[in-house]
Order: sequence, then C-alpha cells, then structure tokens
Amino acid sequence: MTQTGSGFLTIHTEPLKSVSDIERTTLMTLIPGRIAGLFGGRRWRSLAPLAVLIVLCVLIAIANPNFIELRNLVRVANSAAVPLTLAMGLTFIILMGSIDLSVEGTLSVSAMVVVLLAANDGNGNDYGWWAVLAAIVAGTAMGFVSGLVQTMLRIPSFMATLGMWFIGLGLSVYMLGGSAIRLNDASIRDLALHRFFGMPLAVWVATGAFLLAAVIQYHTKLGRHILAIGGDEDVAKLSGVNVIRVRITAFALAGFFFGIAGVLAAAQLGQSHAVIGDGRLFAAVTAVVVGGTALTGGEGGVVNTLIGVLIVTVLANGMILLGISPYIQQTVQGLMIIAAVALSLDRMRLRIVK
Amino acid sequence: MNEPFPLRRIFEGKWTQGAIPLVLLVALLLIIEIAAPGFLTGETVSLLFANTAVLFILATGVTFAILLGGIDLSIQAVASLASVILAQLLPSLGLAAFPVAILSGLAFGTLSGIVHVKLRVPSFVATLATGGVVTGIALWVSDGRAITIEEGGRENTAWINATVVGVPVVVLISAVIGIAAFLALRYTRFGRQAIAVGAGEPAAWAAGINVDRTKIVAFAASGMLAAVAGVVLAARLSSGSPVLANQLLLPAIAAVIVGGTAITGGLGGVARTAVGALIISIVRIGMTFVGVNIFLENMVFGAVLIAAVAITIDRSKIAVIK
Repeated sequence: MTQTGSGFLTIHTEPLKSVSDIERTTLMTLIPGRIAGLFGGRRWRSLAPLAVLIVLCVLIAIANPNFIELRNLVRVANSAAVPLTLAMGLTFIILMGSIDLSVEGTLSVSAMVVVLLAANDGNGNDYGWWAVLAAIVAGTAMGFVSGLVQTMLRIPSFMATLGMWFIGLGLSVYMLGGSAIRLNDASIRDLALHRFFGMPLAVWVATGAFLLAAVIQYHTKLGRHILAIGGDEDVAKLSGVNVIRVRITAFALAGFFFGIAGVLAAAQLGQSHAVIGDGRLFAAVTAVVVGGTALTGGEGGVVNTLIGVLIVTVLANGMILLGISPYIQQTVQGLMIIAAVALSLDRMRLRIVK
Repeated sequence: MNEPFPLRRIFEGKWTQGAIPLVLLVALLLIIEIAAPGFLTGETVSLLFANTAVLFILATGVTFAILLGGIDLSIQAVASLASVILAQLLPSLGLAAFPVAILSGLAFGTLSGIVHVKLRVPSFVATLATGGVVTGIALWVSDGRAITIEEGGRENTAWINATVVGVPVVVLISAVIGIAAFLALRYTRFGRQAIAVGAGEPAAWAAGINVDRTKIVAFAASGMLAAVAGVVLAARLSSGSPVLANQLLLPAIAAVIVGGTAITGGLGGVARTAVGALIISIVRIGMTFVGVNIFLENMVFGAVLIAAVAITIDRSKIAVIK
C-alpha cells in the first residue's frame, strides 16, 4: 500500500488513457441515450448535476410559482451571463488540474480598462468599442502573464495566480483612484440594457462565449491537449504535447474570457469600482466544481460548467424568491463546493491530498 | 532538474533560506535609519511592533498550514467573523465575548481540517469553501454592516490597547503567541510530526504518524489564531465587520513565504514568519514613506509573493507543477 517516491502527488490513472477516450467520457453528458448501454458509477455521476438542476427548478417552482414567469427567467439568464463567461475560462484551467485564483483581479482590470477608455465621468476619453477591445486584450495579457509565471518560474498555479489576483486588483484600484467611475458610453451600456429576442445582449454574448468554449474544447487541438494534460501530464508530454505552450495558451484563453466578463460586468453595473470583482471567484469555482469538472483535471468540460452555472444562479434566485437572506448565499455556495468536490473526486487516483 | 552548479547549490542550501530574510530585514532597517535618522528609537520600534502584531498572529496561524504543505485561504474570513462576534456579544457578555469569538475560529479551523482530510479535498479548495461559508455567516450575523463597539463595550477592549511598562499589550499578546507556537513546533510531538508530514507525507505515514490528526490540529490552530487576530483587530479599531480582515490574507501569506518557509512544506517555522511579518510591515511603512500610492500596495505584495515563492519553493518535491 505504501507509496514512496519523490513525487508528493502520486496519481494513479489507467495507463495511457487516450485522448479520444477522455473526450468520449466528457461527451457522455450530452448523450444520455448512450448512457444506458454503459454501467458503473462514473457514468451516472456525470448526470448528477443535470438531475440536481432539474430537481432544484421543480422545487423552487413549487414553492414559488413566480420562478417560472418569463420575467424571472430572463432575470436568471441575465445574472448568469457574467458567471458563465468567467466559468468558461476557469473550466479550461481546472481541466488541466490547475486553478486560477486571479479571476477577480483580471475581471477588475478589464472593467477598469473599458470604463477608463470609453466615455466616462473620470477623464475625457471616448474610444467607444476600441475600449472593449482593449479591455479584452488586457484580460488576455493578464492571463498570459499568469501562464508565464506559472510555467517559467515553475511555481504552482494557485500561488502564481494568488499573486496575479492582487496585482490586478492593486492596478485597477490605483487607476480608478480608489473611487467608482461611471461608464457613460451608451452603446456599451446597451450590452446590458438593449434586448434582442427578449434577452439582454449580455446573455447573447455569454452564450457566444459558451459556444466558443465548446468549439475550443471539443474541436481543436488545444482543447484535446488541455484534457490530455489534465488526464496525465507526463503521458501528455511523452506523447509529444508541448505542455508549456499549451499551459500558457490556456491561461491566456482564460484571461480572454475573464476580459469579456469584465466588460459585461462594467456594462451591467454602469461603472467600475474597487469591489467589482468581489465574490466572483467564489461563484465561478462553485459553478465549475458543482457542474462536475474534477479538480484533479482531465474530467468534465464546458457543458458541465454550463449546468453548474445554472445551478448556482437558479439557487441564488430561488433563495431570493423564498425570502432567504442573500447574505447566506456564500455559505450555501461554500457548502456546495465541499459537497461537490467530495462527491466527484476520484479518490482512488489520489493517495495524498495537500 | 538539478543542475550540478555549485553556486546554485549554495543559494538553495537550507541555511541561506533562513538567513536571507534576516539580512533583508536588517538592510531595510538600515536604509530607513539612514534615510530618516532617529527611526530606530524605542518609540517608533514599539509602534512598528504594535502595527505588525495582527499580521504576525495571522501569519503564525498560516505557518502551521503551510509547513504541512497545505494552505489556509480562510483566515481573513475567520478573523472577520471573530471581529463581528466580538462586537455583537460585548454588550451582553462582556469579557466572555472574547473566548466565544476565539472558539468560533477554532471550530471553523477544525471544520476546514476535517473537510480537507476526511473528504480528501485539496486544502486550497477546502479552505476557499469554508472561507465562503464563514463569510456568509459573518454577513448574515452582522446584516452586512460594520458594527461599532460602543462606549460600554470599549471598557472591555481597553486592556488590549493599553501598555504594560511602556510595551503595548498587543505586542505582548503576539509575543506570547509567537513563543508558544515556536515551542509547540519545536518541542512537542505535534510540532515534530507536523514538520515530518510536510517534509514527506508518505514517509511520515509509513512511520506511523497519524497524518490526518496532525493536519486537523494544524488547521484548527490556524483558525484559532486567525480568530485571535480578528479579535485584536476589532479591539484596536473599535469595530467589527464582515470584511474587516479581507485585506490581510495576502500580506499574511506573503509574510510566511518571505520569511523563508517553503510552500512545499517541512521547511520553516514561526521565527522565520516573525522576520517575514516585520519585513512586510516595514515595506508597507517604507512605501508610504517613499510616496508609493497606497492603492499600489496590493500590486507590490502580489509581486513580492510570486518572487518569494519562486525562490523558496523546493521543486524536487513536486513531480508535476500544476
């Protein structure tokens, strides 16, 4: 039983789990029909988040029928937009078995950039949609730096991104001068205010982010390589995957999504301030983990995360409808993380947990 | 990837990691003394210590978690909750509010430990989650507001802000905690086992050490010390708030790492954390002194953290850097 050796994280996997095999496991969540032919807990476990979501919706609808009113469903979709975009980025990082704690820092940098470059009440800039582009570039750059720090200095991602979190936060608070600055550009504000087919544009942007993430995960080499690294980094390396390049690209990609989320958050709030990111890391991690993406990497994906985001948002909405103090939300989310991780972690693979 | 390059070996030696922070601290003190003669007088030094006290108590707690190779990201939440509990209960319970607040920290620290160990959740996620749980409770209890400790309650917190023979009581508290933690790590079975677990968990496990219990005790200690820090902070500011200590997570972890404790575990200790906390404190004062914008503080600490981790980490202990 004793595992000795130099590695502190001794991981057992089925030897040489091929990429297509991993992908098929992930796609299983999409194709319930094929589940019937398979057996074993893992298959069922991958359906659990969807079941939780449905049960949750039914229970809340019974307790308060207002839940299924169109107006409320639009509200749910609207409040899911930013968490969904954030969680898309975070999913890729967690799929690699890493973590990105810089979510709030990157989001606030991006929100700061868009507010300061578009029409605002703090300075005379008015670059319109160039500001949005710059904000997304800034987010991508933050992620790129996180990736560089993690791979080049060879330090664990949670430490690298913990540092980047506060670097981003410090930078944005400094640039904003510690105050809240309003966003006056009408066309950017329209992301939150203008509706298209009944939904605010932000929801469509988030849907676009989801589709993009799904394409990247299931139909590109990058997506397969990310999964392969999460499944077993050594095997991936031996199979010829350029691990360092994939890692840096994945962090930059995550930063890209955080950047979009920053723009959406600034548009929704109509301003940017020091605490624009507060609580967002937590919601994003909860969503990814509750959706069934394993923290050990290599298992799960953006479809899981979509369900996870919906669970978190529906629950938050339901708690408000049921008159439960919104302050207790973080407590519930924390308990959800613990429960989901405890249920999903494939403990056979982990001898030592640090 | 060990290059057989002697200079590198010397710098990666164990003794340098303990000595470099000390040298840095002395150098910083000398620089400030030269820039502003008269800095190293009894009064300013005691002020420096008093301002470092809360940070040091928090950092001492995290030292336990980091020595084991884990991390505790819930300390700022636990400290804030303790401040809220103290501020809420002082009017009704008087001095008895102190043990209640501190015990809440012990309870949530133990919870983090149990979640981490029994449910086998990595410590950074386990403590991120319990931190969220605790923050939610603090927000709920305080209704999202800061609670001022009124005149009546201040009688019971006055002793923390007092001085004994010219030494601030907060400094005495942190000194007692520091010495107790130092002795606990060096001379008790728990301390030795904690360092053994951090140095090599499979070996510690094979040697018959109760790894799970050691870890739970370490996280309980981390939670309890976080609560003590929260109580002291609340008494000093005469207020409790669910976000009171939010700005202290990063400096506390940075203090541990800058002091020379490796995040890979097994190497370091409370004495190093004391040096690290003083360095962080002096850098903070120095930044204000030099005229660095206060809003940039977080940026500097973030960069310092990354640099310190990169220098102190023991890469031979990590098979795959995730």
